[in-house]
Amino acid sequence: MDMRDRFISTIYRRAVDDRRIVFLSCEYGAPSLDRFRSDLPEQFINAGISEQNAISVAAGLAKEGKQVIVYSIASFITLRCLEQIKLDLCTMGLPVTLVAVGPGYAYGVDGPTHHCTEDLALMRAMGAMTIYSPSDDRMVAMTAEMALAAGGPVYCRLDRGDFPNLGKLSAAEKENGFRVFGGPARICLVTTGALVRQALDVAAQSADRGIELAVVDLFRIKPLAQKPLAEVLSRFDFILTLEEHTLNGGLGSLVAEVVVDYGLKTRLRRMGIDDHHLYAYGRRERLKTMAGIDNGSLAEAILEAAGKCRNAA
Amino acid sequence: MPEKLNAKELCAKARRLRKVILEMCIARGGHLASSFSCIEILVCLYYGGLLKFDPRRPGWNGRDRFVLSKGHAEAAYYAVLADLGFFPSGWLDEQYRRGLCRLGGHPDHKLPGVEVSTGALGHGLGMAVGMALAARSDRSERKHVVLMGDAECTEGAVWEAALLASCHKLDNLLAIVDRNRIGSLDFTENYTSLDPLADKWRAFGWQVAECDGHDPGRLLQCLEDLGASRHPAPRMLIAHTVKAKGIDFMENDPIWHVRSLDDPSLIAEARRQVEGGGPDGHA
Repeated sequence: MDMRDRFISTIYRRAVDDRRIVFLSCEYGAPSLDRFRSDLPEQFINAGISEQNAISVAAGLAKEGKQVIVYSIASFITLRCLEQIKLDLCTMGLPVTLVAVGPGYAYGVDGPTHHCTEDLALMRAMGAMTIYSPSDDRMVAMTAEMALAAGGPVYCRLDRGDFPNLGKLSAAEKENGFRVFGGPARICLVTTGALVRQALDVAAQSADRGIELAVVDLFRIKPLAQKPLAEVLSRFDFILTLEEHTLNGGLGSLVAEVVVDYGLKTRLRRMGIDDHHLYAYGRRERLKTMAGIDNGSLAEAILEAAGKCRNAA
Repeated sequence: MPEKLNAKELCAKARRLRKVILEMCIARGGHLASSFSCIEILVCLYYGGLLKFDPRRPGWNGRDRFVLSKGHAEAAYYAVLADLGFFPSGWLDEQYRRGLCRLGGHPDHKLPGVEVSTGALGHGLGMAVGMALAARSDRSERKHVVLMGDAECTEGAVWEAALLASCHKLDNLLAIVDRNRIGSLDFTENYTSLDPLADKWRAFGWQVAECDGHDPGRLLQCLEDLGASRHPAPRMLIAHTVKAKGIDFMENDPIWHVRSLDDPSLIAEARRQVEGGGPDGHA
């Protein structure tokens, strides 16, 4: 099931028995939303293509006891209404969940207006905001449940498409907001969301060539379990980060902060979008290749990292 | 709830609160001109029987909801809330724009009597729309009142909220625009076209009335008429006001949105006029 449909179906099941749950769409649909709209019309509001107002309205609803979901395309529900997110949601700590669909180049051919390569940096800068970036179907359902239970503002970053389960999460993994794939290795790749599957594919290819690689799936970006993450990262000689996001303030920055804050003696290479705007239309894989975050670029980076580990030994 | 005042008593209340606001702003700065522009509006809402509230129980669920979307009229708002007993009057001296002030330069949702934090413009109406939608969902009879600035109406989000409120026929929502015709730099019509403002709101599906925003009798009448209407639409009152009303050398001059009143002779003159009830003694 598409990530957004899993998320909305999970919310729907809760909303049937809980009238406090209100769903605001910014004139954006989904097959799963049709059922919500028809079965629970009093709990659904089409706020129109008015993201700023949608956030303010959500704040007003939440202030009066509602649990509010606001749903739109990632680029629009972040950049268009950033001040409303900061002031109306975060400063007042209101329980509103932003469901942002299509991060990175997920809307590839739709072009730069729909690409969203800044959202993590922006949402990380928002005090009190919880950020989830799930990587598989089961995790999306869990994220929807946790968002309803959060009691404050939440940003859920959902990719487009079906993301089969990658395994069940342990209690500790749920608590820490990340999980680690792979056994002993000298290189660790940290990534999030849809890119976890890409990372696992490339890791399998690398293993065939004799390079073992651990993959960290960081699904809760905020609050970050810094200490547990630092403990995991400290086991590796080389850390790679991979993000479909600007290198300014995203996942790579977050890992660099942990490395510095905990004085880790490890090499770090951040792979993401350089400090330029990729003004291009095209299939997602094509755009990722142009940005240097495709499978081939990642495989090369792993080879280089393995070389550096050998030289250092 | 305080005793409901009549128009004459509301005038006297506004005159007394002008003195309080003037001393707050002389001591600590603050937006004097914006506060004097809307003090009669606030007084009518809080003392004219138009809002339900209980200063001893600020979170009482049966209260009506008021949002000061033009958060820069904070001095007037604080003076009213302190006078009603939402917090001690001493705070106006000790806590207003002083130290780690509880009464900051814009209202804060943690303050007793304040629903939501405001200060950045164009947020209040949307938040009130959300509250009004929640009230409808909860079958609550409460009212929602928003006071906005006229220059605030150049924020696009105001019109987004106006569209949604009218689509949902939110007759539990009343917005008031303090139409003093001045922003922070210039007269509104010099840089934007708000006029004909009433027609714009009507075109957006709102029920609109207009009156002199410094005349408590007219304000009360208009607000009561709007409240009594059964028209299924959100209500708008455009209150025609004078920025810095009551101090002639400040009135209707854009520079006094930001200029501090710190010249001793001007302070003395401002006090004389406010004590006397306005430059001509009739404000």
